Amino acid sequence: MNVAENPVQKLWQDQPVEGIKMPVEELRRRAGKFERRIRGRNLREYVASLIAVGLFVYFLVSAHDWLSRTTYGLFIAAMLWIVVALHHKGSAKTMPEGVDTLTGLRFYRAELERQYRVVRDVWWWYLAPLVPGFVVYTIGHAIQSPRPAAWAGLAFMDVVVAGMFVWIWRMNQKAARCLERMIQELNGAE
Amino acid sequence: MAVASEQDGLYEEAATNYGAALERLARAYEADADLRRDLLQEIHVALWRSLDRFEGRCSLRTWVYRVAHNVAASHVLRQRRTRGQELLGLEELENLPDANAHDAGDRSHALDRLLRLIQTLKPLDRHVILSYLEGLDAAAIGEITGLSAGNVATKIHRIKNMLARQFQQGGSES
Repeated sequence: MNVAENPVQKLWQDQPVEGIKMPVEELRRRAGKFERRIRGRNLREYVASLIAVGLFVYFLVSAHDWLSRTTYGLFIAAMLWIVVALHHKGSAKTMPEGVDTLTGLRFYRAELERQYRVVRDVWWWYLAPLVPGFVVYTIGHAIQSPRPAAWAGLAFMDVVVAGMFVWIWRMNQKAARCLERMIQELNGAE
Repeated sequence: MAVASEQDGLYEEAATNYGAALERLARAYEADADLRRDLLQEIHVALWRSLDRFEGRCSLRTWVYRVAHNVAASHVLRQRRTRGQELLGLEELENLPDANAHDAGDRSHALDRLLRLIQTLKPLDRHVILSYLEGLDAAAIGEITGLSAGNVATKIHRIKNMLARQFQQGGSES
């Protein structure tokens, strides 16, 4: 079947091997573990989002004033938007079985490009939808409690939130640059 | 879709006929012994899983190499993220300085050198050189990689020249 037509091919083919073969039961066990891991990962994403939405729904129905209801309503809408966006943009695909190398590399590159867009555009699909909730919360509470101490507390909260937003955005831009380099390298791999 | 026993039977056939080639392939993709063992097991699991969808549209050999190369390429690209190792193309390897006679003469040293050369290559070029070293013809390499016949011929020509220079075989064999 394999023909060594020159000494380097012979050198390669004659190297000692251990003859590793895995029992079918072991393959089944590992394949099952792999599938459970994928299912678990998807489930975790949805459960975490559902818990967050559930929590905000609870706050919404137990709130007594229009300001809190509007704030929680905006956060719920933002969370739903994020879940839908994550489902559309972020769901990892599995490479089709038995495809040739070029198709495999193109699939891998498409996945990297998808991940790149997710992290590059994190402001638009993840951070920006949360802004209206924070703005309404800040303005509403500033009007409701016109005291310097309350305003200082609100200002502190906004600075902390803004700092977190900037940190999340910068981490994602860093990841985007790393992914961009990998995509450029893959472009040269064909 | 193959039933479980067919899947197991195909795996047995694939592991018996191509198990040694898969071990060599794993060696060409991972230098670290523990990670190499993990990679080889990952290839076997992926192969067994994939055979559930094997419909005989290509030969079993082509299917085995495709699955193995794709798993190994993903491994290299994942490792590339953490290790930051730069990968080269065949055309860049052609510019390496020639090996001296002592390096090429020692068999175990020559094999180490060959492995190191292969491990620096980009995935697609690595697939071509490994398939060539396994003795596959240009048509089979084209089927595994998806490259055109002309592209495969060019790459094999480069590989032969590079191997001839690095292992002192007395020049091009194209």
